[in-house]
Formats: sequence, C-alpha cells, structure tokens
Amino acid sequence: MDTLASLLHTSPAIAWMAVKIVIVFGGIFTLAAVFTWVERRGSAMIQDRIGPNRAALFGRIRIIGLQQLLADGLKFLFKEDLAPTDANKGLFWLAPFLAFVPAMLGFAVIPFGRSFVSGGTTYHLSVLDPGNGMGMLYPLAIGGMAVYGVLVAAWSSNNKWSILGGMRASAAMVSYEIGMSLAVVALFMTTGGYDPKDIIAAQGYLPWHWNVVPHFLGFIVFFTCMFAETNRLPFDFAEGESEIVAGFNTEYGSMKFSLLALAEYGHMMTASALIATLYFGGWQVPFVQNPTVALSITSFVLKLVFFAWVFVWIRWTLPRFRYDQLMHLGWKVMLPMSMVNLVFHAWRMSQGH
Amino acid sequence: MFLAFALITLLGALGMLLQKNIIVAGLFMVAAFFGIAGLFVLLANPVAAALQIIVYSGAIMVLVLFVIMMLNSHEEEAAEFSRPIQRWLSLALVLALAVGAVKLVMASKGVQELAVRGAATSPAVTLQGVGAVLFADHLLGFEVAGLMLLAAMVGAVALTKRNL
Repeated sequence: MDTLASLLHTSPAIAWMAVKIVIVFGGIFTLAAVFTWVERRGSAMIQDRIGPNRAALFGRIRIIGLQQLLADGLKFLFKEDLAPTDANKGLFWLAPFLAFVPAMLGFAVIPFGRSFVSGGTTYHLSVLDPGNGMGMLYPLAIGGMAVYGVLVAAWSSNNKWSILGGMRASAAMVSYEIGMSLAVVALFMTTGGYDPKDIIAAQGYLPWHWNVVPHFLGFIVFFTCMFAETNRLPFDFAEGESEIVAGFNTEYGSMKFSLLALAEYGHMMTASALIATLYFGGWQVPFVQNPTVALSITSFVLKLVFFAWVFVWIRWTLPRFRYDQLMHLGWKVMLPMSMVNLVFHAWRMSQGH
Repeated sequence: MFLAFALITLLGALGMLLQKNIIVAGLFMVAAFFGIAGLFVLLANPVAAALQIIVYSGAIMVLVLFVIMMLNSHEEEAAEFSRPIQRWLSLALVLALAVGAVKLVMASKGVQELAVRGAATSPAVTLQGVGAVLFADHLLGFEVAGLMLLAAMVGAVALTKRNL
C-alpha cells in the first residue's frame, strides 16, 4: 500500500480510501448488473422455462448466457434518448441520478470483511471507518432518500400513471419506515452501540448467537420492510405494471431507464448487506473464531449473494399486494410487532440478561 | 468544506423562496436540509446530521411533497395587486433580524471564551450521549413533547374522521 501511495504521490490513507471505494462501488455495480441477469434466469428456472441463454461472444462463446448483460448494456446505450414534450426536462434528467446515488451510497458504512493490522496500521474493510459517529443511522438516512428518485421521476414525467406510482411510493414509505426503525433500535439496545463494527462483534461466531435468533420478530419486520424499501415485488406498486403501465418509469427509455433499473438492483445489494450485517453476523464465519481476512470477505459476500437471491426468489413466488394492504401491514402488523420486540428486549435487559 | 455546505444551504433556501413551481421549491428545501446536515457533521455532531436527514428530508419533506401532489396545484397563484410597502418593510425586518442575530452571537459568552482559549476540538457526539442527556437531564421536556405529539395525533384523527 505504501509503495502504491508513493507512486501516486498521495498519503497511504488516501490511497487505501481510493482502493476501498473502487472495490466497494465496483463490486456493488458488478453484482447489481449480474443480478439483472440472475433475475431473468432465476425467473425462468422458477417458471420452468430456459431464459436468456443465447447471447454469445463472436457468435461462439456462450457462458450460460452471461453475455446478455453486454447485449443489454449496448442496446440501452444506443437507443434514442427521448423525453416527453410536457415533461419538466431538468428534473426528468436529474431523477435517475437521485435514484441511483442513494442506492450506491448506503453501502459505505458496512464492513465487508475483518479489519486487519499491517505494518503497524489498522485497515478497516469499510469505506467509512468505524467510529465515525453515524454508524447504522447512515444507511437508514440514505435509504429514506431513495424515495426522492421515484418521486421526482414520477412527477417530472407529467404522466398520470407515473404520478400515481410516485404517490404510492411516498405513501408506502411513510407507513413502513417507523416499524423498520424500531426493529433496528431494539438491535442498538441489546448491542449497546450503533456502529456496524460493534453490532458484528457482539454477534460472535456461533450462528445461534446471531441477532436473528433473539430478535426474530424484529428480523421479520426488517426483512419485510426491505422489500418495500427496494420497491421489489410483493410491494412494487410504484411500478405495478399490471395496473399503472410501468408506474414511475413509464416515460423513461434508453440509458435513463437503465440507471433506474440498476438503482433498484443496487438497492437490493445494499439491503442484502444490511440484513446480513444486522441479523446474520456480517463477516463472521460460522464456527470459526478468528477467520482470515479472505475467509471473512468470502463469508460476507456469500451471505450477501444469498439474500439477494432470496429477493429474486420471493419476487417470482408471491403475487403483488394491493397498495393499501402494505399500509395496513405497516401500521397494524409490523409496527406492533417491532414494538413488542423492543419492549421484550427492554424488559429482558432490565432483568439483567 | 464549511463554505460548500453553507452555500448549499443558502442557495437551497433562496431557490425555495424564488421558485414559482411548488414541487421544485420543495426539492430546493431538501437541498437546504442536506446543507444543514453537512454543517452538523462539521460541528462534530454526526448524530444530529443523521437525524436531520432521517426526520426532515426523509419523512417530513416526503409527506409535504405527497400533500402537494395530492392537491394538484403546482403553480403559485399570482397576487391580486402588488404590495410595495409590505415588501420593503419585510426586507428591512429580515435585515434587522439578521444583523441582530449576528450581533447576539458575536457578543455571546461562548464566542468570547473561544477568542481567549482558542478552539478545542470537542469529541464527536454519539447516540449514547444524546440518549443519556435526553433521559437524564431533559426527561420532563421529553415526556411533555411526547404527550403533545400524542395529543396532536389524536386531534388530527378526530378532525379527519368525524364519525369514528
């Protein structure tokens, strides 16, 4: 690291930061892109079809259709970039970025591997070092921002279906967010800290000590809310293609649509990472007390990919909810559930456990 | 850094005032809130910054924009006739208020002590610290605020649902 830093005329700290940013955002971006393909192959598998397997490099090399990604990207790049005549042009352009940036930013505090010491300095494997004071509040704050992308895209298109989708998204967001936050507050309470590093360290390496066991109710609430937050099916009524054409992205085409779609998958990655960190021990390897750095990263990535697959799995298994059903679920089921979870853990802590 | 965040805050606030389109004005307000959150981070208070974003830009502004979209009137109505006296009076009042606020801050004890002792970097505020202060030193105020919010909520439900 030091030689690299001296080659680039920067300090090792800045070089390490740059490397981490490239690894994290490159990794999330790649995973998000790969999951657009996994989604199509997965849906095909679940519906007993074959799915996209024909795309081939130079008409020859087919790797189970993975080149479909390249083909899609090229197609999006070369499509004509249209904007509706009566759209608010500035906001119409801004919206894909407003959707995409929060989806990527949320990942910044999540440790994707064990911290290690090399040459007297400690290297933390998360973009923002632990002890920054924001801790797990940061992904929650950024997650709340994601709705602006949908809202701005919806309103600026000047299309009634789009506005319906945007309004559904904002109304839904208000109803699930309180239950989700309370579930996380219960975690902060039993951990005694709100930094992801503390939360992971407190969970230990034994799977039955991970937060998913004592906080099972909270886990259910958080997991459900993540589907609403990422706008994924059972709760994707912002898009709702069988009811309101394509919802907030009806008017979007070419690369702008591609950014909106990538934002959804990026959000899915961040949500999976959050679930893994908060409830499944983050980078902890089951039954291994002090894993090597490579092993801890592998463990984290495996958990992340598994939960991302669960997102795909559930999308093609459950039908879409009606949008008042999520409000009902949010206020009358999930909020009481996380309240019970919170009070139960407060009571347990007051009993000295 | 301070200049950047201060500029975001001020330009956001100005944009909100001058923008005729209500939704765009709302988005400018979100930008202003972001600037304030950045200023909180510079003041070694990341918890306040996170709460600022979660509460104001994450929840309140979403609701405000939702209501604006529901009402479906996106343009400000023009005034029936211009009111030059009120306009200049308000400008003068705002200026007086700004000058007064700056004077008050400059004359305050904290700033004078700062000039004598020099700035000491205080440790960053943590969530645990905020919780302890809230429930140990300001318990009464906290409970009263909670009760008032409950009363407001009950009132809102009673107003909108006449026949419960």
